[in-house]
Amino acid sequence: MPVRCFTCGGLIGDKWEEFRSRVDGGEDAGKVLDSLGVTRYCCRRMLLSHLDILDEILEFSKKFTKGSR
Amino acid sequence: MEVKVLEAEGNSVRFILSQSSPAFANALRRIMISEVPCMAIEDVFFYENTSTLDDETIAHRLGLIPLTTDLDSYVLPEECECKSEMGCSRCRATATLEVEALDGRKTVYSGDLKFDDPHIRPVSDKIPIIKLEVNQKLKFEAYAKLGTGKKHAKWQPVAVAAYKYMPNIRINLKKCDACRVCVDACPKNILQVEKDVIVVVDPVSCTLCYECVKACPQDPSAVDVSWDDTTLIFNLESVGGLSAKQVLFKATEILKKKAEEVTKKLAVKGGKQT
Repeated sequence: MPVRCFTCGGLIGDKWEEFRSRVDGGEDAGKVLDSLGVTRYCCRRMLLSHLDILDEILEFSKKFTKGSR
Repeated sequence: MEVKVLEAEGNSVRFILSQSSPAFANALRRIMISEVPCMAIEDVFFYENTSTLDDETIAHRLGLIPLTTDLDSYVLPEECECKSEMGCSRCRATATLEVEALDGRKTVYSGDLKFDDPHIRPVSDKIPIIKLEVNQKLKFEAYAKLGTGKKHAKWQPVAVAAYKYMPNIRINLKKCDACRVCVDACPKNILQVEKDVIVVVDPVSCTLCYECVKACPQDPSAVDVSWDDTTLIFNLESVGGLSAKQVLFKATEILKKKAEEVTKKLAVKGGKQT
């Protein structure tokens, strides 16, 4: 997740996990953004359009990380 | 010049700057964006990184984390007496982090950074830096330094620093028949009907879109929208390292110093010529 909004530089990284879990829990994305205080559309699109692919990369990296040290 | 604060909420401030000029407001705006110093991580030394992201990517993410800034205790590295590339206790704060995922996938947060100076810490402890798979390890030391937005956007203390002219909405009551068309056309709901007369409720919210002027069925339009460029509505939102108030005060201080420098140089030049 990007730390800051690409356009205005506002902090958005810390809102990602709450946003994701609440939207996955069935809440309306727009209302979640409102309650998180993300008012500008540049910051809103950061959260709305983000796709976290790190979990998939981690799945792949499992095979290459040494099991024990 | 006069300043009237409209709203001050958390990190954002909205104020009216009257008896001023766009040139002054723009000078203030540009200084806030590019010349007010704030703290950000600048150098990172990796001791161990077996994660999926490379050192540079992690260092970049670390740099973007806004840090609370103590402008009284720190100086810009360029202005520091130490003249050292690595910096000294006057111009840098050190943070360390050592995390290993042992039991399962682990997210490393900004809150895991341990700073030597208790006054310097991330604005939020919940910013994810990276996720680690089991047995992956991350260990580094990071130096946070003061800097300005001129050099890198990570040192920009404000997210929003913008101003607009004070709108001036006049309704020609001789021509207006209170047909409500302009009231419905306004996207900001600034106009209202009171006792069969159109009144302007909240002129500060006007975006000067002219929808009301265009919507009026009268020809020429009974609504007239203009602006006053000596009164400016300033909108300021800080990222969190410095409060919006601190940013504003520091910006005026810098502007004053610049103006004094110019007058001093002009005086010297004038003295030589005559």
